[in-house]
Amino acid sequence: MHSSESRSRSGVRFKAEWRLPSDPIFLSVVRAAMERLCAALGWNESEARSITLAVDEALTNVIRHAYHKRADGVIELVCEEKEGVLEFLVSDTGDAPDLSKICARAKESQAAGGMGTHIIRDVMDTADYQRTGMANRLVMTKRLRPSVEGK
Amino acid sequence: MKTSSRDQGNVRIVAVEGDVDLSSSGDLRKFLFEALRGVRRLVINLGGIHYLDSSGIATLIEVLKESQKTKTEFALFAMSPAVHEVFRLTHVIKIFQVYETEEQAVGGAGA
Repeated sequence: MHSSESRSRSGVRFKAEWRLPSDPIFLSVVRAAMERLCAALGWNESEARSITLAVDEALTNVIRHAYHKRADGVIELVCEEKEGVLEFLVSDTGDAPDLSKICARAKESQAAGGMGTHIIRDVMDTADYQRTGMANRLVMTKRLRPSVEGK
Repeated sequence: MKTSSRDQGNVRIVAVEGDVDLSSSGDLRKFLFEALRGVRRLVINLGGIHYLDSSGIATLIEVLKESQKTKTEFALFAMSPAVHEVFRLTHVIKIFQVYETEEQAVGGAGA
């Protein structure tokens, strides 16, 4: 199997969409699904944990900064297997992120905030913040591991 | 998330279990700030933590800073590989006293 093809034996590429309230009690639901998805797509336990953490940090940032911890906002998360990558699209209609604060924290800083965007950048291969109309979009990608069959 | 504490002389040993994320880190912060009071040393057992995010790390940094203000010693122990990975990704492991066992953390040897 070539790495740009589906991980599944069916040849059908994976796609899942979630529509979540901006309530942190649902974060654990996404994490559980994400860890299992990453395992199914061939990442090892440590990689699956890191990817799950990065997605969780993205959702947490939306709850904290776009919706200011209000639980009545809507977050959409789309995970889609594309050419050689798993793409994560996180969108919301809350306040726009302050782009100057993304990864602004010095890595060795002892400040208590600003770590989430560093985790996202360190774990994911790409992370692109966009504002379209009233919507925020964060598109993250992670290269799929070459399948066992392709090695 | 569940928290519990017990005192051994003038050392308080706190155990944290479950998931520490945005839904629980505020409660953890409140619990640990209270736990700093009236003891010489506070040590936290992280061995029961199933999941930790950056809001949990931020909470531990805040408690560390508060412990420095109140001149209370503060240490962590029993960090699982999963929890250690979050500390590594957030680049803050060096600012904490970290031990493998409760006995080491209580005694403060070999920090």
